[in-house]
Amino acid sequence: MPPPTILDNIKNLQLQSGGFPSHQGESERPDATAWALIVLSTSQTDSTAYDKGSAYLASQQRSDGRISIDRNFPTASWPTALAIMAWHDSLRFQQARESSIEFLLGFSGRHFPKSENSIIGHDPSILGWPWIADTHSWVIPTGLAMIALQIAGLGQHTRVDQGAEMLIDRQLSHGGWNYGNTLAFGKTLHPLPECTGVALQALSTKIHRSLIDKSLDYLLQQLPLLRTPISLAWTILGLSAWGLKPHNTNTLVGDSLDLQKRYGTYSLPSLALLYCASHTPQGLHSLFHTSHSQQTMVGSLAAPRS
Amino acid sequence: MSKLVSTPEASTLSRRDFLKASLVGGGLAISGFSLLRYLNGPRLTAHTFIGKARDYQTNLATLILQGLRELDITETIIKGRQILLKPNLVEPHKSTAHINTHPLIVRGAIEAFFHLGARSVVVAEGPGHRHDTLLVLEDSGLADVLYEDRIPFQDLNTMTGIPMKNLGQYTDLETLMFPRLMKEVDWIVSLAKMKTHHWVGATLSMKNLFGVMPGMYYGWPKNVLHHEGISESILDINATLKPHLAIIDGIIGMEGDGPIMGDPVQSGVVVMGKNFPAVDATCCRIMGIDPYRIPYLKKADQWLGPIHSTFIEQRGEPWQAVQHPFALTPEIPAHQGIQLKSV
Repeated sequence: MPPPTILDNIKNLQLQSGGFPSHQGESERPDATAWALIVLSTSQTDSTAYDKGSAYLASQQRSDGRISIDRNFPTASWPTALAIMAWHDSLRFQQARESSIEFLLGFSGRHFPKSENSIIGHDPSILGWPWIADTHSWVIPTGLAMIALQIAGLGQHTRVDQGAEMLIDRQLSHGGWNYGNTLAFGKTLHPLPECTGVALQALSTKIHRSLIDKSLDYLLQQLPLLRTPISLAWTILGLSAWGLKPHNTNTLVGDSLDLQKRYGTYSLPSLALLYCASHTPQGLHSLFHTSHSQQTMVGSLAAPRS
Repeated sequence: MSKLVSTPEASTLSRRDFLKASLVGGGLAISGFSLLRYLNGPRLTAHTFIGKARDYQTNLATLILQGLRELDITETIIKGRQILLKPNLVEPHKSTAHINTHPLIVRGAIEAFFHLGARSVVVAEGPGHRHDTLLVLEDSGLADVLYEDRIPFQDLNTMTGIPMKNLGQYTDLETLMFPRLMKEVDWIVSLAKMKTHHWVGATLSMKNLFGVMPGMYYGWPKNVLHHEGISESILDINATLKPHLAIIDGIIGMEGDGPIMGDPVQSGVVVMGKNFPAVDATCCRIMGIDPYRIPYLKKADQWLGPIHSTFIEQRGEPWQAVQHPFALTPEIPAHQGIQLKSV
């Protein structure tokens, strides 16, 4: 069994408003609250805490369905994908969830055709999701949006297909993903484990394994080197989604938690990620009640014909 | 991307000014500094300090203390202050240490500020490309140093922000969201790396402050600022934040395709100053780059500080004695035509 302290630590952070802060002593935040609700809903231990947290999260929702990191900074709407996951099993907040889904489906950021003499490697015309409105799409927000929509049963939606196409286009030639640039001025850029984990998780129901084998190899090579929570958790989730959950996951998660002696208590999102990584049988999707029959492979990204 | 225009340093004095200056300068034998004041009225001036350091085994705390003394930053000024050190940790990889401010420069600065009686020192960064800031800390080697020295670290990317009116107005952003920590400390120190940059020519103390802008409001990368214009954003951030001290790690810098994919270059200097444009212009000259060809420096000139060498008093080593031209990449537009003419 994974260390029980993660769940307890998260529950203890809940504030009077129902929201959760990133760290003790801080104010509640939508992203931290959504991660706490994901843990509470998948653990199914405390419905009162879950309902209070969900109500706080709903209070942060704008009329167009988005949930931003700060009500005064509406362009930073990346927590919307987390909220969709947080409300997945809730009938009471179904309307709020559907409103967020509608927002996410209509949100794509800035995209533009690739110029002939472009100094970047990727195709900037393929739709993904940005961190912040009116900016370009990047790997992690695209991955999170795809995961949220897949869990919501929209794995076949065109936007999810486009997201898969965008992620494959941004995969580095030697395997792995970084934040979302493959080449600049002729040089191939370096992969990063946290981005690779998110991308592999998002693509796990969309494409054939042969298209991402090098990226799985990259993560498997990185795994023994990782101790910090965000990279370790996304690496475990990315590998698990492809049936490669490390046999020593609980040891790895325990070692990461021990690092708090060095760095202080982790943020709530980091703790939540470690919780999900330790509990998942097969990736983040498997923590939720999802209809896998709705997940199909994108035409051109399906298994190559021999 | 940039709406700023640069002109070479050589062209900043008109021919008429030059003739007038020659006559007056020859006749009165006054310094170039006084001469330009005579010509143009009061101008912004600044001091910068250049110290030599062969490698990171040099006693960097002593060198930085020497620099602080030369810049008239005394115990009276620092005693009881809360100091924030902002290193450059944009995207560390274990095999490429020259991307980042070296951990031993950070340690040297920590020791120097405590020596002068600082109440506290905190190190903080919001890496531009990486979501996992703790891994950045580990990969850069800084985690071990901070742990040994019991110095706290703060992730600026996920820190709740405080909106401040944009005092630069070069971008269309009405306010800038700075991490609350910026308001809680007394001194903000940009502990930057001496590197070329493939979008803006050079990244030094001013560009390093991109890293204070929280990713949760600006993205990973801080794409909001890219779309607003990198040079314009640099100017707005510096004009609004009003940082206190720049310390540049030029012991091993980066040339070529910086700020990440370039090559290490041993230039053997630490450059310091309270005026950021002056420090960055001095670094440019050491790197063999014309600061007037760096758009954000050109625009900062005589607004945020001086960049003309006449208005920058050098302390420690003269920049000419330590000049070590950095390799530029001809295919990179931001590197074209920025080389100092005398190099």
